[in-house]
Amino acid sequence: MALLQLRQVSFTYPGAQAPAVHQVSFSVEKGELVAICGATGSGKSTLLRLLKRELTPMGQREGTILLDGVPLEQLPPRTAAFSVGYVMQRPDEQIVTDKVWHELAFGLENMGLGQSDIARRVAETAAYFGIEGWYEKPVDQLSGGQKQLLNLAAVMAMQPSLLILDEPTAQLDPIAAADFIATVHRLNRELGLTVLVIEHRLEELMPLCDKLLALEAGRLLVCDAPARAAAALRSHPCLLDAMPAAVRLYHALGGAGECPLSIAQGRRFVEERLREMAAPGRAEAAPGAAVGACGSGAALPAAGNGHVDHAAGTGHITPGAAGGTGDAEHAAGHTAACAGVAPSAWAGCAPAAAKAAHRQLPVAAGRPGHSSREGAGEPPALRLHQVYFRYERSGQDVLRGTDLTLRQGEILCLLGGNGSGKSTLLSLAAGLNRAQHGQVQVFGKRISAYRDQSLYRECVALLPQDVQTVFLCDTVREELQKAGADITALPFDLTHLMDRHPYDLSGGEQQLVALARVLALKPRLLLMDEPAKGLDAHARKQFAAVLKQLKAAGVALLIVTHDVAFAARCADRCVLLFRGEAVSEGEARSFFSENLFYSTAISRMTRGLLPGAVTVEDAAILLGGEVAGMAPLAAAGEDGAAGTAPQAAGGEDDAAGAAPQAAPGEDGAAGTAPQPAPAKEAAV
Amino acid sequence: MRRFEDRNPIAVAVYLLAAAGVAMLTMDPVLLCLSLAGALLSLGATGGFGPLRSHGWAAVLFLLTALINPLTYHNGRTVLLVVNDAPITLEAVLYGMAAGGMIVAVLYWFRIFSRIMTGDKLLYLLGGLSPGLSLVVSMALRYVPLFGRQWRRVQATQRALGLYREDDPVAALRGRLRVFSVMTTWALENGVITADSMAARGYGLGRRTHFARFRFTLGDGLLTAASLALAGLSLWGAAGRGVSYYPAFAMGALTPRGLAGYLAYGVLVLLPALLNIKEAMVWHCFNSGR
Repeated sequence: MALLQLRQVSFTYPGAQAPAVHQVSFSVEKGELVAICGATGSGKSTLLRLLKRELTPMGQREGTILLDGVPLEQLPPRTAAFSVGYVMQRPDEQIVTDKVWHELAFGLENMGLGQSDIARRVAETAAYFGIEGWYEKPVDQLSGGQKQLLNLAAVMAMQPSLLILDEPTAQLDPIAAADFIATVHRLNRELGLTVLVIEHRLEELMPLCDKLLALEAGRLLVCDAPARAAAALRSHPCLLDAMPAAVRLYHALGGAGECPLSIAQGRRFVEERLREMAAPGRAEAAPGAAVGACGSGAALPAAGNGHVDHAAGTGHITPGAAGGTGDAEHAAGHTAACAGVAPSAWAGCAPAAAKAAHRQLPVAAGRPGHSSREGAGEPPALRLHQVYFRYERSGQDVLRGTDLTLRQGEILCLLGGNGSGKSTLLSLAAGLNRAQHGQVQVFGKRISAYRDQSLYRECVALLPQDVQTVFLCDTVREELQKAGADITALPFDLTHLMDRHPYDLSGGEQQLVALARVLALKPRLLLMDEPAKGLDAHARKQFAAVLKQLKAAGVALLIVTHDVAFAARCADRCVLLFRGEAVSEGEARSFFSENLFYSTAISRMTRGLLPGAVTVEDAAILLGGEVAGMAPLAAAGEDGAAGTAPQAAGGEDDAAGAAPQAAPGEDGAAGTAPQPAPAKEAAV
Repeated sequence: MRRFEDRNPIAVAVYLLAAAGVAMLTMDPVLLCLSLAGALLSLGATGGFGPLRSHGWAAVLFLLTALINPLTYHNGRTVLLVVNDAPITLEAVLYGMAAGGMIVAVLYWFRIFSRIMTGDKLLYLLGGLSPGLSLVVSMALRYVPLFGRQWRRVQATQRALGLYREDDPVAALRGRLRVFSVMTTWALENGVITADSMAARGYGLGRRTHFARFRFTLGDGLLTAASLALAGLSLWGAAGRGVSYYPAFAMGALTPRGLAGYLAYGVLVLLPALLNIKEAMVWHCFNSGR
């Protein structure tokens, strides 16, 4: 019998017009791992809170919820509390007590168990979750990942039969998030625990789960095995954005056959596709598709810049194709750089690759404009030279000899693991800490030379990781008015949020309001710490578009992020920070196609098969799918708005070669003034 | 190994309060000397003396008390000298030294207490008295660093947003007030999540138990009983000694009762050192073959 059954469940918040959850019916068998996805505000959290009686919000509920055959409201209070475990999003606020061991015991104390029972369960739980090493620590000293693991362990110590997780990894970095998901999967597999989890990070979870539930506007769209559910989401772009890269690629290519979920499945899918394209029967059809793809791929960037860029900017992938463009040297350089990955694999599927090569990558972001600016002698927006910094005299150097240059009007993404010094670097650039050795220059002037807060007036602004720290007022309106923000000038719309309390907004909305608040300072250099954290896939996409528009307006952006896909979407260049040093730096596409671990899912999936493919759109173009309809942001709208010439993904030399040609048609943001307006609409 | 500091917190607390309590209740110079020596010995036995300069306060305190008493209190038969028409008496000096010795000895006992009694152990003691209060204290201990960290974060953010202007103190003060008010909002907001988390784990559904990580063994019971008995014996002995400082310093002849009191207190203050020496010897015997 099903452990959990919902029949026609609806829920309306008091005073709300429409129900937050509408006529939802599904059942969950014992031992299933169920993933729930949906955009922000689709009613996911409300639905899960209905399943946990203690957390059910005020409002009107209809329909029946059966837990093990018993209506939820008829369960005795103790059963309701202890047989359903619930872990929420924010790791810090859920912790009740001051020590790890006490937190583990908290629920058991509430159950009224005796000393020896508590001792046994706490010991067992700590051992299972690998907590022994930090069992006696104060919770304050734990990392975010450890805190969330502790929350999970504390719930599991009570031995619930159903575990509910509401975006448990939203505030974690990717490695901690993957660990957390692996632990949940282990609980499910080893203990037969039934798990319901809301997750934005479906890349890891999708291949593991038994069922995928998709919600849209409070209604249940799909409840099925993940492969079938993913295949059924074709007409829901919002939900599709959240799907793993393999699923998005599958849909971009028309969605025929079995839907791949994991990276490995996606790789087989790509191989299959290449083989199909190489097959003689398809020989006629393929070039036709190739022409279509070339048409869309090449024409869109060209519209903004003129004919010269077309030849210079779009590199063909094989030397054979390069002959046709009349820019053989350039294209060859590009090929060398892009195809520098695994020549043997390349040779292995040569025919297919040759077919694929006729298609071009609309190179997402270039920076020829900067070359011209540098030529005019403009100082970089931010320059760090041999910077050393430590927090305590006897401590370790957090930054050791870091060099970094951020050009004006450029988006630079700073990647790196925990403790690599990313946030510290931002705090130095924002003037919150001072380097003990080396120089930090902002627009060519030493940062210490900015007196009396002049650094923060129309110069530098920092959007912190926890955007709640930005808000000081009770409404968004007050917040923005006090700061003197002009909301009509923003590249996004906030009018519907003006009268709400900043804390009541969703993560994505908070991010935008905080950005509006920060932009009121009219910064020319904007520093951002993990701006994509806690945003759902769709909001992330929109946010990336907003950043590109800021760049078009001439703002230089330094973005610290863990999110590789987000960096691939919006960065011009990427820098990898490792133990306080900038170890690798490059134009975004070459950066990601050269990295093995620190790379996007698509890059890993297509390594050696589709050189240079970093985003789903890239892979789709190379494999002959329609991309324009699927990704209006990455290929067309943003490049137009950004006003940058399309630029080959080769490396520094390529950029230099393209620059002289690009420069005349390119006059910073102003030169493309007619262009952004329609593009903006397309993007937002 | 079960060293003195690893014993059950109840036993340790009872012992330390007994040792310090005897010193507080008597002015008998012999007991005070024993107490000071014992405290220093115990300090060394339970984790080391620490650097010499961490003992400077004791010397200063002792000298201050020994000096201030004769300067402010002029009773006593034996005048040593006269300062500003006020006599400095031997009795007042002796009393000042005894008082100084007592204060220093008691502070050393409390230093041992604070070294051994970590937050966990204090909460365990509190939990024995009132489980509810113990939980509240634990939550507060959890909350204070959380609040502090958020406060610092908000301040850093607001500094980078230009809130604290260096050139305008009024604006800077107003900025600080705003940060304070937003922190209260934040605290309430977080309280809601914590309350949800507590409710979700069944808080408030009837009687709570209190999980204690420390067991009270027979040995702990013996230590507790011995502490109380020896302290009682010492006080009983001290009461029979009839030490008086004014008008002249006097101590009665040493009776068996007084001697028993001294011996009892001597054993009491040596207990931590004895226990730890025993553990060290056992360790040495078991591991000397290697």
